[in-house]
Amino acid sequence: MATQDDDTLTGPVPDPDAEPAPAELAHARRFAELVDKTLSGRTPPAMSADDRALLEVATVIRAAHGQLALAPGRQHAVVEDALRQAIGASPASASVAPIARARARRWAPWIVAGASTLVAAAAIALLWLRRPVQVHAPVARSVPEEWRSRPADPLIGPIAPERAGDAGTRIDAIFADRLDGFRARHLARGGKP
Amino acid sequence: MKYVILAVALASGLALAGAGLAACSAERDSGARSEPRPATRIADPSEASDLIGQDLLIALAQAKNFHHKAKVYMTDGNLTAATASVRQILSLVFPPGAAEADDVRNDARALLAKLLMSQNQLDEAARAIDEGIAQSRRESFFVANLYTVRGEIHQARAAALDATGEPGKPAAADERHAAIAAFDHSIQINERLQKKLLEER
Repeated sequence: MATQDDDTLTGPVPDPDAEPAPAELAHARRFAELVDKTLSGRTPPAMSADDRALLEVATVIRAAHGQLALAPGRQHAVVEDALRQAIGASPASASVAPIARARARRWAPWIVAGASTLVAAAAIALLWLRRPVQVHAPVARSVPEEWRSRPADPLIGPIAPERAGDAGTRIDAIFADRLDGFRARHLARGGKP
Repeated sequence: MKYVILAVALASGLALAGAGLAACSAERDSGARSEPRPATRIADPSEASDLIGQDLLIALAQAKNFHHKAKVYMTDGNLTAATASVRQILSLVFPPGAAEADDVRNDARALLAKLLMSQNQLDEAARAIDEGIAQSRRESFFVANLYTVRGEIHQARAAALDATGEPGKPAAADERHAAIAAFDHSIQINERLQKKLLEER
């Protein structure tokens, strides 16, 4: 069941000149106590959603207004750690990181990201610049010799002087031999050209 | 926020580095594949560029036909037409790198030179032989045959010089020496090739 308190943020905005209602005054008092408790470190574990939202806004306004001071004990610890670091000793408090380490922590993600980007760029460049290797088809050495174009010397042999002009007979022999090779290859491929 | 950036950068960096390494690995593997594997790979005949194809057969068939045509003209005694027919063999287009092209052309040049000799065109015959020898890319029995015909041309020149009488004797002797040198060259080529063929067997 919704109460008037639940409508603080979502209900109609009252006229600025209107007299505050008793419920409003009660809510304001209760919220003031809540703020006081929060500032003194005694924030109640449970509160309404509207109160929590208003409390966060109040905290932000207070922080933005400045003049926030650390607790004296905390101030003392920070100063002590800074002095220890200045003389080269390790800080007593683990919560205060050395300036160099803090810087490194701040830059580490960017350094890793930059290195990864460089690796990625190098990989892209590698893929881009690598040209595909010309894969030469191996010479078909298993092809029968008679299927191939080749010198006619083994077929003709030495030409006797008295047969020097008998080129017609020799061309017949060469043509017949090469035609046999072509037919053998043609038949071996199942009649395909 | 900065931890989110860090996580994203780390993840992307690692992923891309992994991709790069994978690419390198794949490339190394492909490099290994480029090595010849004669024992395990059955070659696709279509991969070899030196296989006998229709282009080569067509060129050989044309050469054959021109030779037959020349033979018919020679039988008819029409040496001029026979010479023209043989010359056409020299302009045939063979597939690039076909070894038969040199052999067929050299054989045609030998026949061409013989035809020119029979028409008493010794200088033209010598030019045909010289061109054949100059254009040959390897030694062959056909090149040896060109040297044989060159020797015959020198012999014919010596005979022609002898016919001129005493003034032509010294030049005729030179031509005979040139003929002997050409025949010797032919014999040497034949011997080298026969030895090579025997070793290959």
